[in-house]
Order: sequence, then structure tokens, then C-alpha cells
Amino acid sequence: MKASLQRTTWITRVTFLEAVRQRFFAFLVILGAAMVLSSVSFRVLDFGHGELKFIADFGFGGMFLFGSVLAVVMTAQLFFSEMDNRTALTLLAKPLSRTEFLLGKFFGTWAVLGVFVLILSSLLGLVMWGREQELLAAAEQPGKIPVQFSAGGLLSFAILQWFRLGIVIAILLAVSAAARTFLFAVVMGALAVVAGQLQWIAQDAVLKPTQNSLYGAFLWVTSRLIPNLQQFNIGDALVLEPASVPVDAVAMAVASGGFYMVAFLVLAALIFRSREI
Amino acid sequence: MSSAISVQHLTKDFRIGIRGLKLRAVDNLSLEIPRGQVFGLLGPNGCGKSTTLKIILGLVTATSGNISILGHPSATSEARRRTGFLPEAPYFHKFLSGRELVSYCAQLSGVDPSKVDEAVEDALSLAAMTEAADRPIGTYSKGMLQRIGFAQTIVHDPELVILDEPTAGVDPVGSAAIGRMIHAMRDKGKTVVLCSHLLGQVEQVCDRVAIMDRGKLVLEGKVDDVLARRDQHVMTIESLTPAAREAAEAALCVHGAKVTSITHPRRSLEDLFRELVTGSRDA
Amino acid sequence: MRRSSPWVIAVALILGAGYFSEYSWKAVRPCIPEIGRKELEPTLGQGVLLGIIGGFRTVIADLTWIRSYTLWERHDRPGCEALMRAACALDPHSRYFWENTGYAIGYDLAHWEISHRGGYAKVPKETQERLFRAFARRGLDVLDDGLRYSKSRLPLLVCAGQLADIKLKDSALASRYYHEAAILPYAPWYAARIAAHLDWDQGKRLEAYQWYRGYWLARMKDVDDGYPDDLVQIREMENQLKLTPQARIPKQSWEK
Repeated sequence: MKASLQRTTWITRVTFLEAVRQRFFAFLVILGAAMVLSSVSFRVLDFGHGELKFIADFGFGGMFLFGSVLAVVMTAQLFFSEMDNRTALTLLAKPLSRTEFLLGKFFGTWAVLGVFVLILSSLLGLVMWGREQELLAAAEQPGKIPVQFSAGGLLSFAILQWFRLGIVIAILLAVSAAARTFLFAVVMGALAVVAGQLQWIAQDAVLKPTQNSLYGAFLWVTSRLIPNLQQFNIGDALVLEPASVPVDAVAMAVASGGFYMVAFLVLAALIFRSREI
Repeated sequence: MSSAISVQHLTKDFRIGIRGLKLRAVDNLSLEIPRGQVFGLLGPNGCGKSTTLKIILGLVTATSGNISILGHPSATSEARRRTGFLPEAPYFHKFLSGRELVSYCAQLSGVDPSKVDEAVEDALSLAAMTEAADRPIGTYSKGMLQRIGFAQTIVHDPELVILDEPTAGVDPVGSAAIGRMIHAMRDKGKTVVLCSHLLGQVEQVCDRVAIMDRGKLVLEGKVDDVLARRDQHVMTIESLTPAAREAAEAALCVHGAKVTSITHPRRSLEDLFRELVTGSRDA
Repeated sequence: MRRSSPWVIAVALILGAGYFSEYSWKAVRPCIPEIGRKELEPTLGQGVLLGIIGGFRTVIADLTWIRSYTLWERHDRPGCEALMRAACALDPHSRYFWENTGYAIGYDLAHWEISHRGGYAKVPKETQERLFRAFARRGLDVLDDGLRYSKSRLPLLVCAGQLADIKLKDSALASRYYHEAAILPYAPWYAARIAAHLDWDQGKRLEAYQWYRGYWLARMKDVDDGYPDDLVQIREMENQLKLTPQARIPKQSWEK
């Protein structure tokens, strides 16, 4: 068990090092950071929202968009680079099980996305804090109480995003384990993200009674096989109105994310087990 | 003592296309590779030798048949722990240094953490890579890549070393260096299985060879036994004048022997190259 | 173990995770009021986009609002209304969208509809009145919806009060909105005055006076200049109600 853990840690370490050195990662971090920073300038184009809400929303958007692209493309890329360059041949000929290899890939990529989420959420927190101070200073006149943001809520949101990206990585590994080409894995992964973001439609429908049993069965299967990724997008409430979020909501979403990750990793390991390298 | 590798009635079919047509890559192959020898597995492209190696290493599943490595079923952790593998044209993470790569592979191969440094130094030394060990792999030449690949193959002191086209794309000097490494492994009592297209090199370094064609084993035996033509002889003569030649032919004729051809001996181009070029830049 | 067993376990794990997500979704769902709203049905693109992305919602709402301006220019009533409602649905916490959508529907769309039917000269007065009331009711529905989500209730209540009074001509309803607005912090001075007058005009004269008097004593008397104009209004009510000097608000030192 200890040896297995050590081997997984080594694969994780090398995967992490490989991923953080990629220009693609640096490019998306810079792009996301630029988006967060530019939200302060873009807010002049905004109307109808609280300033902090606009800034937060911009940051959430950047984190979601670039995080998803990173999770999909980087996972597939890291997996297929091992296959196409035949480093997997070298590694898997050693006393390293395929499950250990896959787990190492997962944790390495997840760690990189953890760094990505941490950088962007820290930056977003700084920008929001700075603007909050300005708004508080300017709120001397009555009737103008600015919305304040919750740093704890931002941390919870960052954790939720990290778990959401963890699910995407696990799905991508399952897809990649079955796929023959990088492009196929990326396309399927992107579709999985879109389906996951829209899964709530089926989940909402399942919660309502339906007369049509066939439709009901379809909804039941859909809502259980496709992960609900929308449940991690409660940034607005967490950061700007933390009191409105039920105490157990974040914990439940994190637990749900954990379950999905384990389930898709088991599936990925099974598919990868029968893959010919 | 069990063989280093024992292959019994191995068959591998690949399914092609959506209709699932079968392509037989290995056809009822049985092979015994004894311990402590250098064994060459030869054959044209697509003859099934790489597939056979992958099945032996557990990277591809067999359709039928049994394989054991050093007495253990193949693809088990124990069998892999005692095996080292260098794939054809190996590629490693460019950002790692040679030393980091070999250390990484040592950890994955189960080398005792307290002995990793020592094992890494030994492997680097045997592969003549000590000097370049701290450079990033991205800066290595083809020959150096092959040698660092060799180092990662042997770092955990395996009993069985499998090399797939170890000299492909390497210059003759580098090739000779790899040949020396193979001999060094044999001298240490290891079994080396070599898969190569370069027949000259196989002839030089292997004790036994097997030739595969269309998934089947067509020949297997000691190199000397396989190559020798017992009904013909070669004599190398210096200062042969026309008169001496006539006299020799007449004398042989008296005993019923016949001279069929007389040519000048040639050295191989590889020998000439190695004679002229004292060392490649990365050697 | 049979060969299929691990696959059965994997599928069971995925189904189990899906089953658990039903509970987590129930806990999380109220925190995302933006998604799944009926107002987004006519503008499916925005709805789907909102469902897919996990941010940029305010940006999409802004763009939707800007698009509604182009339809406004063309007096495209259904299109403009759909986009304005979509903007509200995309960001239900925004006061700006609710307030302006309520105003636009309640005040302007009836005029467009009358123009569409041939103009004020052609459309009978009763039909015009019916259209004003119908659109005012729709505008109020939007504002009521906004009151459920937006934290800035005050402007929405004042807006609803005006609409109910001027266009719907429902004094009781308008009074309710103004009363609610008047008691909020930072309520404008006119909210209490209009609320009292609306009640007065409905015949609830004593209640109107008592409420206005209580409000003046509690929130106006000691603030700034004591709101003399409101005291004038209250004195007028006292005169009309023929109250005894003891029943009236004591004379203020600054009062003429």
C-alpha cells in the first residue's frame, strides 16, 4: 500500500511539473488574470448591477471558462502525450499498475488546476477588496450602502470550482482511456462539460412528478449518469450574500463532487485496464 | 531453473474496423529464452515481434497462450520488478535532467529509497552518462537519449532486460557503445532480449536468435549454429601469386576438394567507420 | 469475481453519485434563482447560455438589455418586452432591470399598442383606458417579481405605487405600496404623504390622519427642519376632521 502510494505520488509529481511548465497553462493563467483585473475597467460599461457583483461575475466567468478549457485540454494532452510519445510504455512496463498511473495523472492535473483556481480567486479577492474599500469610503451619504463581499464565501467558491474541475478531469480521463485520438477526447470532454452544466434541467424535471413513465425513466437515467456541474456555480450567493446560502449546501456539493470523482475514476481505471498500449 | 522467458502457444488477434475483422499478429508462438544469454528476436516489419514483446510486458493482452517471466506469470508486479524495458526510440520528459529521470524510474521500479542514489550512479556510470546526467533531457542527442533510456532500464538491477531496437537511429560509435553495455549486462549474468533490424549488430552481440515471419517462429537457435555452413570453408591467404594459386588448387583437387571462388576479404563499412571516427560527440 | 463485476460496481457508483447529487442540488438550488426561469423561455439563447456558463451572467444580462434598446427604437413591443424580462431573469438581483422593465411595460407599451392599432384618434377612449390598465397590471407583476429577488426594495415599491396610482388607478393598491415604502430606511418624504392622501381620498380619513401624524412624530419632527410642508398637510387634515386642540399635534415653536 505504501509502495503504491509512493508510485502514485511520483507520477503525480512529474505530471504536475510537466503541466505547470506548459505554455498553455501560463497563457490561460495570464488570460484569466487579465480578465479579473480588467473587470474593474469594464464596470463602467455595466448598468443595473452592484459593482462588486459585476467584478465577481467577471472573475467567476474567467475561472469557469479558462478552468474548463484547461481541465479538458490539459488532461487529454497530458494523457495522450504519454501514449503518443510512448513514455507510457516505459512506465507501465515497470511495477506500476495502470490504476496508479491514472491516479497519478488525475492528482497531478487536479493539483495544477488547484494552482489555477488559487491564483485567480486570490486575484479576484484582492480586486474586490480594493474596490470594496473605495466604495465604503465613498458611502458616506445616506441610502448608499454598498454590497460587501465575503472572503470566506470566495474561498468556499474556489473549493467548489476546484471540485467541479476535478469531476471534469475524471471524466476526461475516462474518455481518454477509451479514445484513440486527442481531438476525439477533447470534443467529447467539452460536450460532457456542456451536458454537465445543463444537467440541472433533467434534475429539476425529475423532482417534479410526471405522468409519462418513459419520459420519467429517461430523466431518471440522464440525471444520474450525467454529473450536475451547475451545483458548483453558487459564487454570487456565496461571495455577495453568504447568509443566503444554507450551511450544508457547500458541504453537500463538495461531497457530491467527491462521489462523482471517485465514480468516474473507477470507470476510467476499468477502461484503461483493457486498453492496449 | 526456469527460463528467463517462456512463451507457450501465444496467439494475438487484433480487431480492425467497425466490422471487427481479425488480424492475426502472432500465431501460436512458442519460445524458450534461457537465462544469462543475449537473445535476438528478428523479423521484418509487421512480423509480430513488437507485439510479442508488448504481450510479454503485459502492455497488450494475448488472445490465447501463456507467458511466464523468470518463473512468474507475465504482467504481474513481481515479473515487472525483475524486468527492465527500453522501448524503440524512447522519449522522456524533456524538463527532467537525466539524473532525475533515472531516479524517478528507480522509485517507480521499487528500489529501496535509501539505495536510490547509489543505484542511479551505477546505472548512469554503466550507460556512460555520468557527465551529462545533470543536463535537461531536452538537450540530449539521439545517442544520449538511448543511453539514458538504457540507464533507466537497468537502474533497479533487473534480471531480464528487454531492448526494442536499441540502436535505431544511433551512429555506429553509439551503437558500439550500446553493444558494450549489452555485453556488460551479460557478463553480470543478466538475460538480454534484443529486438532489432540491424542484423550485423545482432550477429555481433547475440548468443541466440529467433526469426519471426508473419506472426510465426521460423527459426531459433545459437547464432553460430544458425549461421555456419558446414560444407564450405574460408581461408585467408597473404601474398597469393598466380603460381601459388594454381599449385594450391591442384593440391586441393588431388583430395577431391574444389575452389569455388577467390575474392579479397572486405571489412565492413561499420568497422571502417569506427576505425576512422574515434568517438562521436556525445560518446 | 466475474469479469463483469467491476463494471457493475462502476455503474453503481455513478448512479449512486447521481442519486446523492439530487440531495446536494436541493440544498444548492435556491442559491441560483437565475436559472430555469420562465421569463427566459422566449429568449432561449440567453437561457441556454446562462445554463451552460458559470459566470458572465451580468455581462449577458447587460448585452440582453442593450439588445432590448434596439427593439425599443423600432417599437417592437413583444421583442422588447421579452428581452427586458430576460435581462431581469438573467440577473434577478438587479434593481435597475426590474424598475426599468416595470416602468417601460406599465407606461410605454400601452402607447405603442395604441399607435399600432391606428393611434389615439382611432382607438376609442375606453379601449385606451383598458390597455393602459392591462399594461399597468403587467408592469406591476414585473415589479412584484422584482420585489421578491432584489434587495433594493424602496425604488421598486415607489415605482409600483406610482404605476398603481397613475395608470392602474387602484388607490388601495397604490397606498399599500407607498405605505410599505414609507417605513423603509431612507424612504423619500413624499412616500408617506402620498400614502396618507391616498387613504384620505378613499374615505379612510381618520386612519389616514392618525398614520400620517404618527409617522411625522416618529420620523419627521426631529429631522432637519421638521418637514414643515408635511405638518401643513397634517394641520389641514386636523382642520377638516375638526379635531379639538388637545387632539391635535401641539404647536411647534417654529410654526407660524
